[in-house]
Amino acid sequence: MTVRTRGRGAPGRAAPRVDPFTLEIIKNTLVAIGDEMFVALQRTSMSTIIYEVLDYATGLTDGRGQLITQGNGVTLFLGTLSHAVQYTLEKFKDDLHPGDIIVTNDPYTGGGTHLSDVSLVMPVFYDGEIVAFVANKAHWTEVGGKDPGSWTTDATEVYQEGLQFPCVKLFVKGEPLASVVDLIRANVRLPAMTLGDMWAGVAALRVGDRRFKDLCDKYGIRTVKQAIQKLLDDGDALTRLELRALPKGVFEAEDFIDDDGIGNGPFPVRVRVTVSDDEFHCDFTGTHGQVPGPVNCTHTALVSGVRAIYLSITNPGNPVNDGAFRSLRITCPPRTVFSAERPSPVSTYWETMLYVADLIWKAMAPVVPERLTAGHFLSVCGTIVAGLHPESGDLFLLVEPLAGGWGAGRRKDGENGLVCVGDGETFMIPIEVTETRYGVMVDQYTYHTDAGGAGTFRGGKGLIRDYRITADEAYLTTTFGRHKFLPWGMAGGEPGSPNYVKIMHKNGREAVFGKTARYRLLKGEVARLVTGTGGGYGPPFARPPEAVAEDVRNGYITADQALSDYGVKVDPASGAVVEVRRKPVPVS
Amino acid sequence: MRVASDIGGTFTDLVYLDERTGKVGAAKTDTTPPDFERGAIETIRKAGVRAQDVDFFVHGTTVIINALTERSGVRTGLITTRGFRDVLEIGRANRPDLYNLSYTKPKPFVPRFLRLEVTERVNYKGEVLTPLSEQEVVEAAEALIREGVEAIAICFLHAYANPDHERQAAELIRRRWPQIPVTASYEITREWREYERTSTAVLNSYVKPIAGRYLDRLDHELERIGVRGSRYVMQSNGGTATFGAAREAPIQMVESGPVAGVLGAIAVGNLVNEGNLISLDIGGTTAKTSLIDHGQAKVTTDYKIEWTRTSAGYPIKIPVVDIVEIGAGGGSIAWLDDAGSLHVGPQSAGAVPGPACYGRGGTMPTVTDANVVAGRINPEYFLGGEIALDASRAREALQPIAAHFGTGVEQAALGVIRLANANMVNALKLVSVHRGYDPRDFTLVAFGGAGAMHASALAAELHIARVLIPTNPAVFSAWGMLMTDLRYDLIWTSILRTEAAANDGLERIWDTLEGQALEYFTPQGIARSRLVFQRFADMRYAGQEHTVKVPVPISGMTEAAVAEVENRFHALHEQRYTFKLTSPIEFVNFHLTALGTVEKPRMRRLRKNGTAREAVKGKREVDFDAHGQATATIYERDRLGPASTVKGPAIIEEPAATTVVFPGQRVEVDGYGNLVIEVRS
Repeated sequence: MTVRTRGRGAPGRAAPRVDPFTLEIIKNTLVAIGDEMFVALQRTSMSTIIYEVLDYATGLTDGRGQLITQGNGVTLFLGTLSHAVQYTLEKFKDDLHPGDIIVTNDPYTGGGTHLSDVSLVMPVFYDGEIVAFVANKAHWTEVGGKDPGSWTTDATEVYQEGLQFPCVKLFVKGEPLASVVDLIRANVRLPAMTLGDMWAGVAALRVGDRRFKDLCDKYGIRTVKQAIQKLLDDGDALTRLELRALPKGVFEAEDFIDDDGIGNGPFPVRVRVTVSDDEFHCDFTGTHGQVPGPVNCTHTALVSGVRAIYLSITNPGNPVNDGAFRSLRITCPPRTVFSAERPSPVSTYWETMLYVADLIWKAMAPVVPERLTAGHFLSVCGTIVAGLHPESGDLFLLVEPLAGGWGAGRRKDGENGLVCVGDGETFMIPIEVTETRYGVMVDQYTYHTDAGGAGTFRGGKGLIRDYRITADEAYLTTTFGRHKFLPWGMAGGEPGSPNYVKIMHKNGREAVFGKTARYRLLKGEVARLVTGTGGGYGPPFARPPEAVAEDVRNGYITADQALSDYGVKVDPASGAVVEVRRKPVPVS
Repeated sequence: MRVASDIGGTFTDLVYLDERTGKVGAAKTDTTPPDFERGAIETIRKAGVRAQDVDFFVHGTTVIINALTERSGVRTGLITTRGFRDVLEIGRANRPDLYNLSYTKPKPFVPRFLRLEVTERVNYKGEVLTPLSEQEVVEAAEALIREGVEAIAICFLHAYANPDHERQAAELIRRRWPQIPVTASYEITREWREYERTSTAVLNSYVKPIAGRYLDRLDHELERIGVRGSRYVMQSNGGTATFGAAREAPIQMVESGPVAGVLGAIAVGNLVNEGNLISLDIGGTTAKTSLIDHGQAKVTTDYKIEWTRTSAGYPIKIPVVDIVEIGAGGGSIAWLDDAGSLHVGPQSAGAVPGPACYGRGGTMPTVTDANVVAGRINPEYFLGGEIALDASRAREALQPIAAHFGTGVEQAALGVIRLANANMVNALKLVSVHRGYDPRDFTLVAFGGAGAMHASALAAELHIARVLIPTNPAVFSAWGMLMTDLRYDLIWTSILRTEAAANDGLERIWDTLEGQALEYFTPQGIARSRLVFQRFADMRYAGQEHTVKVPVPISGMTEAAVAEVENRFHALHEQRYTFKLTSPIEFVNFHLTALGTVEKPRMRRLRKNGTAREAVKGKREVDFDAHGQATATIYERDRLGPASTVKGPAIIEEPAATTVVFPGQRVEVDGYGNLVIEVRS
């Protein structure tokens, strides 16, 4: 720590040292710039995945690529922006000019995750020098590849997953490179949407560029740099305070990824967390090697997953910057399912990255139960429905996640119907919007009573969303993880329930699965999407009978479940407790 | 005689204007929960207003927002389309507090067992796919009433496109149970998005009996003391409604208080021929700001209560004047975080214990304490001397911050003021720069207890050339209510490409909306000749979601007129987002504003005289931050006559506010008594 301006020397206006209050004001303004870029991108985007799901991040780094501030819609992108900037610097060195914009989505180098997540990077020049970078990374709905929507569950090489931008210039000195733009236009299925997303990203960069320069005009670049240094140092200091408060020791967890979408699996994954006074070390040695199907995640995604959960454990409320991660160390052998290399397919990488976060979560939950609940449904439960709109005849692409049940905690029931840990300020698409835009009708959108999640504190309920196809035909791609391995319970609570997709064909045939690619559905057929209930906390028999009866009255559980899971007989008509058949268990 | 009564959380204010004499007066009393009407009546008495003379009574109230935030509304039931009773509880399923894994979703206002489903279905085009089962509606209502609900909300899918089923269901229930207030979603909003519409209908029902009882009591009390004139309630859209209309849609009153200040700014702008204004209302706990473009306040329906960076809140799809509110006011507390960084707010010391200098037991340093230490507030003349401030306590409270940074208490005080100002500057930027407006084109109208204290520094920071401090800034919101028209906003979602729209159906849409406005106003005795319509369209590039509100000419929607609207859209989009596209454009919502104009009072010019020299009370040392310590001349505002001028460094004191004038700034008192500060930046 360098610029802690704690009282030495004579204070006063004439002192050359910058006063501490100015630094605070600049810090706040930097964070505000991040927020403004974030809103600018959302407001101008063409894709629901951006403006409803907020599957993007915007940020500001210093001239060396250290993250100063990041506006996030989802938790997944922590750390990816700085990697993208650092790789840009490494590749272009002196060949960066005012108004240049670099595009990259390469999963195996600087900042890439899967091809759909496209980063734009722009150097900010002040007095002829690069003083900062503005950057964003957004899930573009369509980047070409073998399947509509680009991500799929049965790719075997990255080449099937879309157009690759290997860190190249998109704008030169403020002007778009027509050849690159034409190339994009020719290689994607919905060019207006894709280029709309590109423009939205550019608009956000320009806002950040302008605001950063305003800040330099006002305070001078030296002062701004000093404030940046302080921001990073504060991030580090706050995190270390929390780190020191954590119990020290070695904490381990193991779990299994269902499969890779093309018939292989399950795959064991492991973490060993070592907490010391100065370091939070995550070692993934023992994790399964990279796999043939597209569930691999690369190093960048691994880092993001770890960073997200580290922030949750240490200081969930603080602004994000690279300083917060100085005390974090990650070890992972190469070519595992968490550190895949070219050309292994990665288009549904996020499902595996969620396991990165969940493993640490599972290992640390007993240690920090006030911040970490029992396991949740863990999967983005991503869906693509593609077809021709019955009215307009245009190609429609419904791409969305689905919310599910969260785990119960030491003092709370799990949350009902909330997006997974990888998502964040992610909004489910309204039914009225869905039915207007896409060739589907929603028959129900409700909680289910599948078995699971019983506990002193009950796991949160998962959802059912039924799509009835109104187009002549449609193709369904889904990636529902935790279909085979359930959300974990805690402290004696029961595990939750699985995520699944159930197809109801017109001829009465049914199919149930977690992952599928391009599953053909005809008009009138129904795809039922079901998300899991979260894990319970504490033994179910310690749940107060009145709370059980209230759950029955509200229909969160059935009367049968009340009896079998909790030993409480409830009259479904009146909602009254009729009988308690269980040995008393002390409430912990 | 016109009377405006504004019930706030702590005080109930009254402002009156005697149109014969031009006299403006005010009175203040404590707010009197739960019988809020008592305070209102009390201020009438206190102000010495003769009830018989009142021919216009307008009322703003926090009763609705209080009922919502204190969860003191009635037990409410909800009836939905079969399969969708959980829409209210699922919400949009977002997790705004990204890294908090123990996040708790906002709890629904209606528990699951009071949410019942009935068979019916309409598609997105408004076509009925399954007719409404009337029997199920009756059964559902019966079941809810058996459970003791006092109000019912109805929301069916796609009711914005075709409200027939909702109307039918509402009528059925009203006929059978006339004592149960019912809200069908379409009665409040005709925008798409089922969760937001359901939430709106539910919250309206939840407060409806409360609002009804409250308005009845107030009406009765006014009647009793002999007030015979017309009575109105301030609405969130910046207009008023009759008591009768407010009873049906009480949720429209949710921002009743704060919007009045914005209207006051518009009215004062009219007086001085200034249409581009930024209003700034700084109170004890928050600062609220809003931008006025060519005399028009911005109205949006993206309103939510209890929405923060860490909570999803509850959406209410009603037109609300677009106000940005932040936790920065006189009572905001300055504190150090674990890393040793200084923050100001959003926690406030409130009125009790209040800032440390109040001597009521508060020990935390606040913005007010900092202003006392900096010499900007006169400790002997706070609230006209009602509270004697203790400067030594203010210094004591700031000492830990000074010690932490190794500065003197004076520097610490300035640091707190600057940080609070920076927060306010960010809020002012949110409504201006971030939306493509250049603050240099605007006049800052500052009011509330602390507005005048901070305004000139904020203006300098944003290069705003002119600041206007109205007379009686502490009760300016109530004054604003005197200047308002009746207003009714109709917003209708109908997605339509502009290219197809020119020849098809636009006139029908506007005619329908105007017809509905007439249906609304006619029973209230508002003649057609008093109605003024304004048209807007929420538009976007096809494929986008977020829209830009575009003014639409009242003339026929010819091809040329549509082309004009398209051009306006391109320009507004570029202004706000830095680019425009060649993509097709869509209409999303058609928005009609119907104003039932009322006769406005004419403000008279001040006749009193008084030069700046006569208003001088003394001199004192004041810290002017970057301008350094300076000897400021202190003026008594009441003694400053029109056309008198004051040069900074100066402090202009009045009982409930203090205006800080920086070195180099110049103040002129205009013909209405407003202080107009010319800011050199």
